[in-house]
Amino acid sequence: MLDRPEAARLIAAVAQGDRAAFRRLYALTAPKLFGVALRMAPDRAAAEDVLQDAFLRIWTKAVTYSPEAGEPVAWMAAIVRHRAIDLLRSRAARGREEGDEALERIAAADRVDGQVADAAILRRCLGELDEIARSCVVAAYCEGRSREELAARYGAPVNTIKTRLRRSLAALRACVDQNG
Amino acid sequence: MNDEDDTRAAEYVLGTLDRDERAAFERALALSPQLRGAVLAWEKRLAPLLDSTPAVAPPPALIDRIEAALPAGQGETIVALRRAAQRWRRVALAASALAAALGFVVVDRVLRPPQASGTYVAAINRGGDRPALIVRVDLATGMVFVRPVAAETPAGKSLELWYIGRGAAPKSMGLVATGAERLALPRGADVEQATFAVTIEPEGGSPTGGPTGPVVYSGQLVRE
Repeated sequence: MLDRPEAARLIAAVAQGDRAAFRRLYALTAPKLFGVALRMAPDRAAAEDVLQDAFLRIWTKAVTYSPEAGEPVAWMAAIVRHRAIDLLRSRAARGREEGDEALERIAAADRVDGQVADAAILRRCLGELDEIARSCVVAAYCEGRSREELAARYGAPVNTIKTRLRRSLAALRACVDQNG
Repeated sequence: MNDEDDTRAAEYVLGTLDRDERAAFERALALSPQLRGAVLAWEKRLAPLLDSTPAVAPPPALIDRIEAALPAGQGETIVALRRAAQRWRRVALAASALAAALGFVVVDRVLRPPQASGTYVAAINRGGDRPALIVRVDLATGMVFVRPVAAETPAGKSLELWYIGRGAAPKSMGLVATGAERLALPRGADVEQATFAVTIEPEGGSPTGGPTGPVVYSGQLVRE
């Protein structure tokens, strides 16, 4: 999907103030990152704001990037997600329904070698959760659903959702780390 | 790390903490390398969920808006010193304890002004675990308090401390001696994204007004 060595090289150049590298990094990654923002933000205008904020932060934070922070594009996507969540949590938002097709989509998605193993492990581990727990995890991560929204969707008390999420996350951690 | 903290890190990455919980967690994050490690581990575990998110071209004008909002360009000296800043490693727990005993808050490269007091701290580090210098900047007074922890000065040379503001040339703040120093920030200094660096200079300091020797330590103040 995306050439990781080039993204890492571009981020290093951005860290040194290289604007041409920043434009190139944007050209390479913005469509994917805009897709991430669109899936989470309440509307298109908000998604554009999220993307803009994220890239300004990427400019500033490029100097802090190292491989321990993760794959370069994943690092950038995390910045986008967190901007989106900040936006969502500070204002009420509604969104679309997300089904259980997430598992199939993880399997079908285009990805670079090396990420394939991680995705397979996550897929298997998500598969071990019960259906509702799995939907909650995916909806929270991909769409930015809050506990309240998940509670409304599944007709459960917020505390129940919170407890189930925590248990599911603990189970995911155990499963992913054991297999990773 | 206990399970409770790790699960909280998971909820943070997942996005299900509410606004106040997020803010509280981010404050804790700024002060804890272990918590940051936990967050990174969760980002790594969950990242494959984004693989299937479709790419969508953003509006063409967006990059122009972004570029217009970027800070001003940077010179070559800044480039060389930023390379050194990238080697800044995490501060060891022992150093954190020492700094805490000295009344400083030492934070790994992410800094946050504690409450409203307007002080920033940089741990200037050569790349090992123990910081060589602890630099505390008090915005209210414009004073910089520099305390060497393990700085070594080669014989016949002096260590000089530089302040490199965003987009500006390095400005000398004076020599680093064996005891604690109180040095003044250059007038108009902006500590947001400033880099502090230490170079080896001839005895008595740089004769030219700019750094002439190699950068041996560097650290950066970055506001999250």
